[in-house]
Amino acid sequence: MSSDIKKKPYFPERAQVACSQCTLGNLCLPRSLDAHATEQFEHIVNKSRPIQPGEHIFRAGDKFQSIAAVRAGCFKSYVIDKNGEEQVLGFYLPGEIIGFDAIHEKTHKANVVALDTSSVCGLSFDSVTEMARQLPDLQDELFRVMSLHISELEASAADLSAEERIARLLCSLSSRFASRGYSAKEFNLSMSRRDIASNLRLATETISRVLARFQSAGIIRVNRKKVAILESEKLRDLARRDTC
Amino acid sequence: MGITTDFPAELITKYGLAGPRYTSYPTALQFHEGFDAQAYRRHIQSSNDDLIPRPLSLYVHLPFCKELCYYCACNKKVTRNSQRAEDYLKHLDKEIEMQGALFDRDRQVIQLHFGGGTPTYYDDMQLKHVVETLSANFLLSRSANREFSIEIDPRTVNKERIAYLADIGFNRVSMGIQDFDRSVQKAVNRVQDEGKTLDLIDAARKSGFNSVSVDLIYGLPLQTAKSFENTIDSVLTARPDRLSVYNYAHLPHLFPAQRMITTEDVPAPEVRLQLLASTINKLKEAGYIYIGMDHFALPDDELSIAMGDGTLQRNFQGYSTCRETDLVGMGVSAIGKVGNSFVQNRKDIRDWQAALDADKLPVWRGLGLSGEDRLRRGVISAIMCQGSVNFSEFERKHSIDFADHFALELKSLKPLQDDGLIELSEQNLEVTPTGLLLLRIIAMKFDEYLINDKQGKAYSKVI
Repeated sequence: MSSDIKKKPYFPERAQVACSQCTLGNLCLPRSLDAHATEQFEHIVNKSRPIQPGEHIFRAGDKFQSIAAVRAGCFKSYVIDKNGEEQVLGFYLPGEIIGFDAIHEKTHKANVVALDTSSVCGLSFDSVTEMARQLPDLQDELFRVMSLHISELEASAADLSAEERIARLLCSLSSRFASRGYSAKEFNLSMSRRDIASNLRLATETISRVLARFQSAGIIRVNRKKVAILESEKLRDLARRDTC
Repeated sequence: MGITTDFPAELITKYGLAGPRYTSYPTALQFHEGFDAQAYRRHIQSSNDDLIPRPLSLYVHLPFCKELCYYCACNKKVTRNSQRAEDYLKHLDKEIEMQGALFDRDRQVIQLHFGGGTPTYYDDMQLKHVVETLSANFLLSRSANREFSIEIDPRTVNKERIAYLADIGFNRVSMGIQDFDRSVQKAVNRVQDEGKTLDLIDAARKSGFNSVSVDLIYGLPLQTAKSFENTIDSVLTARPDRLSVYNYAHLPHLFPAQRMITTEDVPAPEVRLQLLASTINKLKEAGYIYIGMDHFALPDDELSIAMGDGTLQRNFQGYSTCRETDLVGMGVSAIGKVGNSFVQNRKDIRDWQAALDADKLPVWRGLGLSGEDRLRRGVISAIMCQGSVNFSEFERKHSIDFADHFALELKSLKPLQDDGLIELSEQNLEVTPTGLLLLRIIAMKFDEYLINDKQGKAYSKVI
């Protein structure tokens, strides 16, 4: 998958993967496949070893071969701009797919690094394409996931205040955690405030200042990297979103 | 919390064991060299990554003294060689720069403390230079609520110096008095004039210091109940906002300076009890609130208010009202507390300077706290600061069953309960007014390291 892989392979052996048993089954690519198709799909999946925080799974410029589905942990994707500054593009939680940006030029555009101890399922993109030709349900799912990505990116490009951006991120994380079976009200963030600031195009101190404001308004409670949402309706109002 | 009118002399004698002061938990005895500069950097990075990083407290250790006070157990260096002290400052500049670079610049410094040694060993220009170096490398709060304090040896300052310290940004002062009795002063090699000292307190008030704190020590050689009462009466005429009345621990096997004190001159345990009892009564009569351990404050002082509303905190200087900060310790042997870790600098000046000369952080040792440490730190802090432990609060925060997790500890508290130091219910541990004088004894029951290792020799006597 990347140059790092040569030092220590991500996929030490061909482990038996059972998508049908996976707790992310209703979020990940095979979610709309029937039992037989799921079994076929399992053959193209490579389960990784645990990936340590700070370890990269893709580097910008790597030749595109595979996409990755997050099994556990959290990843961030980023590019280095021409001033040498890191710019965070996004965060990936379990069940989310990394690497679609590399399809058109057959090269990874972003660096992708683990923020926690994580693991992924690697999927050779040739095999995925091949299989999607035979399984229209898989093809539909691929389109759906890509479309979701695009719509999220477009929404974040809107002219939003710092408060709206931060409230939206919290809303988005809350609903993403909830659909993964975690609490929607209380979660631990793997990303630093610097990552969040870079991702939302805000100054680092703005993140803390706005979160402190939310906290003194009784909307959230923050302890180190843990966030508790106390007033989800108010947070939704701030985010100008109907759902959270 | 309030102090009992009946002084529990018998209980204090009974429980007069050795014990740590719990300015930190775990105590510095648990620090180890496996915790190095790299570990320290990691904890700083993680603290910068917090969604709302804690504000900062800075501690600057200035170890030099012109003369040796025989009772002293601090890390200090007695010298009249100003070149050494000047050289120390150059290295301190470098450490301030190195440490400042590690903390995100939007983290405000809301607390600053210059301790020693004798910070006022240095002259006005030198102290101003240190403050300016700090200001260039950290974001010092400009709020009137900031707590910027300095320890003063009254023998080294006059009214003009006091005013100057206010000018360069200090707004709290802590004065070392110890005892006004001339024979006691001679016995500990610290002779200072009573009238001049009281004038300095007055000058501090006039210069705009919004808090004046005074340190006294009981149990010093040649002290009698009568002589110490005179000292207290005299101090009370100046009505300091806070008083710390420390117990002198005579441990000449650990602190060479104390070998200069004639052991026979050190008051016997009964006399120490008398000294403590009369001190407490006098301060109470004068309207002071007993905060805990060795500390007293006027009712309108923030410490008294914080004790009332449960926001009191323990720190290396005693008690504090600040919301939780990360503490950056700078200078030889200085201790810091960042995130869930403690760190301590090299304690020998040469080693500390050598590390800085090699462009290395002068870290000697430290400790990363485990989940168990954090739980116990919380319980001990609740005992020391609130005098009460609410079990369900810890059950919620740490996902434990308190009665189950602390079954042995609760059992070991039984004798303390029988003696009326605490009250235990299903959901609560309450320190009684009697127990307030023996907070350490109660806290020690939750100290995992003491439970596992019964070595108490190095601790100062509780009484």
